[in-house]
Amino acid sequence: MKLGVFVNEFKTVVETVDRLTAEKLGLIFIQNGVFHATIKENGKSSPLLDKTANFYVLAEDLATRGLTDADVDNRVKVVNYGDVVDLIFNDYEKIVWL
Amino acid sequence: MSMIDLAFIIQRPPYKSETSTLGLTHAISYQVVDMFLDDGQGVIPKVCFIGEGVFNCISEHKSMENYGVTSIESHVKNSLLVDLDMYVCKEDIDRFGIPENRLVDAEDMGADKKLQIVPFSEIQNILNNSKHIFIF
Repeated sequence: MKLGVFVNEFKTVVETVDRLTAEKLGLIFIQNGVFHATIKENGKSSPLLDKTANFYVLAEDLATRGLTDADVDNRVKVVNYGDVVDLIFNDYEKIVWL
Repeated sequence: MSMIDLAFIIQRPPYKSETSTLGLTHAISYQVVDMFLDDGQGVIPKVCFIGEGVFNCISEHKSMENYGVTSIESHVKNSLLVDLDMYVCKEDIDRFGIPENRLVDAEDMGADKKLQIVPFSEIQNILNNSKHIFIF
């Protein structure tokens, strides 16, 4: 299964995402999920970034919160709304929203 | 004069819900609450950002461009402009690696007040000394 997961919270979703497995897993950080791509709590990146997955973060949601590409972990690709549509239609068979 | 201390604690991150905005607009409304009070009474609101709430204080929001809504940054600046005392938990900005120079500043609008970065112990004192505590 090729599974795309929209992560839209910072704290409450880590356990759930941690249990997900897929042949191809994509984590798309949106809304307050963008902090997973940018914040280093106690100097450590989000544990979600340790998963075997493709990581994306929505540029518009970064900018809204005063964050820039320079704040983003280098494992995460910055994408725009158009790119997200392409991911949904071309890269993943199933999409879930956490 | 009888003054009542109010503490507004903002602990939720910005935008996904209205929670942070509501906390700020409630605090700002102290300016008009006098009309409901007796002569000689007043309120002194203090806004404290703790936990993920400190994410609200990162500057340069682009919410109008992307969401079409007034930014929380604007609400923070307006709050400073009307001389609200606003506190940011130092332990939390340190924990999340947010440099102090990334925080909202309303100096460009002519505000005298600034976000005050304080240890949680000071926020605890604010809680202890407030008659009412509102958590957002």
